[in-house]
Amino acid sequence: MSTYEWLKPLEKIMNRPLTVMTIKVPEWKEIADRAETVSVESPDEAVSVGAWIEHDRKLWMVAESNEKQLAVLEMEALDLDLKDKELMGWSLRHAANGLKSGSEQGASESEKLAFKLGEWLQKQLEAEEPVYSLPDLMTVGSRLYHDMIPFLLVAEQSSVKQDVYPELEKLLRSFLSDDILLIPLKSREWLIWGPLSLLKDEDAEMLEHAEEETMEDSLASIAIGLHEMLASEWLGECHLAVTHPISPAKGMVEAAIMLRETIHLGRKFHIGTNIHLPWMLQLERLLNAIPESNRSKYLEQSLKRADLFVEAEMLSTLETFFSLDCNVSETAKKLYIHRNTLLYRLDKLKQETGLDVRQFRDAVLVKIILLLYKVTKRN
Amino acid sequence: MAGVRLEGIYKKYPGSDKASVTDVNLDIQDKEFLVLVGPSGCGKSTTLRMIAGLEEISEGKLFIGDRLVNDVAPKDRDIAMVFQSYALYPHMNVYQNMAFGLKLRKFKKADIDKRVREAAKILDIEHLLDRKPKALSGGQRQRVALGRAIVREPQVFLMDEPLSNLDAKLRGQMRAEISKLTKRLETTTIYVTHDQIEAMTMGDRIVVMKDGFIQQTDSPEQLYNNPKNIFVAGFIGAPSMNFITGTISEQGGAVRFKAPGVDVSVPEGKAATLRSKGYIGKELIMGVRPEDIHEEPVFLEASPNSIVNANVEVAENLGHEMYLYLNGIGSDTVIARVDGRSGIRDGASVKLALDMNKVHLFDKETELNIFDN
Repeated sequence: MSTYEWLKPLEKIMNRPLTVMTIKVPEWKEIADRAETVSVESPDEAVSVGAWIEHDRKLWMVAESNEKQLAVLEMEALDLDLKDKELMGWSLRHAANGLKSGSEQGASESEKLAFKLGEWLQKQLEAEEPVYSLPDLMTVGSRLYHDMIPFLLVAEQSSVKQDVYPELEKLLRSFLSDDILLIPLKSREWLIWGPLSLLKDEDAEMLEHAEEETMEDSLASIAIGLHEMLASEWLGECHLAVTHPISPAKGMVEAAIMLRETIHLGRKFHIGTNIHLPWMLQLERLLNAIPESNRSKYLEQSLKRADLFVEAEMLSTLETFFSLDCNVSETAKKLYIHRNTLLYRLDKLKQETGLDVRQFRDAVLVKIILLLYKVTKRN
Repeated sequence: MAGVRLEGIYKKYPGSDKASVTDVNLDIQDKEFLVLVGPSGCGKSTTLRMIAGLEEISEGKLFIGDRLVNDVAPKDRDIAMVFQSYALYPHMNVYQNMAFGLKLRKFKKADIDKRVREAAKILDIEHLLDRKPKALSGGQRQRVALGRAIVREPQVFLMDEPLSNLDAKLRGQMRAEISKLTKRLETTTIYVTHDQIEAMTMGDRIVVMKDGFIQQTDSPEQLYNNPKNIFVAGFIGAPSMNFITGTISEQGGAVRFKAPGVDVSVPEGKAATLRSKGYIGKELIMGVRPEDIHEEPVFLEASPNSIVNANVEVAENLGHEMYLYLNGIGSDTVIARVDGRSGIRDGASVKLALDMNKVHLFDKETELNIFDN
């Protein structure tokens, strides 16, 4: 149910306090059966906005409805005549219609299309057997057949409102390019399609000696830049995932599924990270597929000294060590500790757990244990 | 420009029963350079991110100037941030990177151009304005990130370990440049680092944090000379302060500190406090900075009541000074910083004197500095 911005003005017009309450549809019908007066409505029909019941000097009028529950306005009914009630019912119906299509009213063609695409995509994401290709009607000529870069944005702040679309679209256009497509999904979740031109490297000739950047590197740096811009120039912290370019017409559903899973895995396994890259979460994906009971059992069996892995110092040491490809010198440098201090910590781990992370085999095991530990710890 | 005030700020993450930041109260003055320092996980970055608006404040009030900004979006807080990752916009050149924030705020083209070129001049990156970030070195990228913050002319700069991705030499250079820059721009700056050299050299005041709590807020000198507790004493200073656990006793009117291999006399000023606070006969912890352990004959002669004998495990000669890793003073290894020309070698037996006027004494239970008022 939405926020009732119209409540205050309505209270003023009606000159009485109004209360909004949520009740289930069967409850409403039950009250209607006992009521003194009801609006003309067949008991079998779905309860619509504007329907009212008068009972015991109170008036209840439906302000919003869905299949299961209703938002109902409650007020003193003493001096209200039929015309007052009908007029109020009419106003509420208009307000409800306005809310429903608010985003589309006065919206640009691209915005209308984006909302339609969003609705379609959301349905496919919830369907057991989704349709993977966009219906022809929604492909806007040939535009969506070209490869584009998909990003999924999830905002954290509860202050993000539903009507943020135009502002966000404008911001993304000025940051990425005019040629973007912003599709609203759930509340505070958007699928962004950016043009392939973002990956073009006009300065390549200036970088004679630089290592060639991979597609993944380029996508990651665009995601990092986009995240930085959204965090500092928009509403604050957000989660962002990006994946390989694909044509929206063919890959809309596939990309959305992949990006949602990526953000889910990233948030689950790497708390504190806001940019999530599917190619960096392969192991996490695999581990996530293992049933919880098996994961816990494995952890129990492999951890001789569980408390050692809980120590913040050991955790950060190991995470840095793995992120730097088990390079002792680089890890010591990054952690601002002496090489011997790092070796001491790794020896301590070996002594306590029997696992020497300088050996590939043990390093893999410890990496898996750390990942599993993070997930089980939170459960 | 403006000051920043934090009143009873807490950060609690959903699903965690422990607060990441607890009851932080700070009054940061206009134009002040305040450094938040502490080990990883101490809450310093979380505090900065709450000031920036990147994290929601769970409890408490945050003011920038006189404005309560708890619910103000980052873009509307009139702050500029520079982070460790200095994530530049990869598809824009340096000029566009610096101009973007101003463009969004609908500045006139001429104003944008003026501000960008002025900032580029200050940071000595005028010749790089057409380059994309990928074609820049680490130091140059960091300057662009700073430039992006400067052009905004914000009320407050927020910097989170902005130098940690640079090599040691460049870090030293940029450290001095940032200090110079913020003084010149007279902008209030809140700077997060885990590097105590940065903290000591850059901050007007330093806030030391641990486990989400502020341990001490003071000038660099005060923090170094009058640490409030063992944590601050051990965190500030490199090599760290040595801690020796021992007992206070009184013999013939003289108060002495005794520990394995240590039997030294406590100066009268300190002794009086120990007596009045009832520490005679009790165990406490003595903190001695490495530079307060002396090997010079003159000092030894002048301090007959604070002599200790030790064995040199390792002598690290850095040229201008030497670190001695010593056994025999208390139960742990003690580090002394002596003159590089002292000629002391590994394995030597040495006679040293503690500067008892400069030692710190901490309560063993509370870990608080006994002489702190």
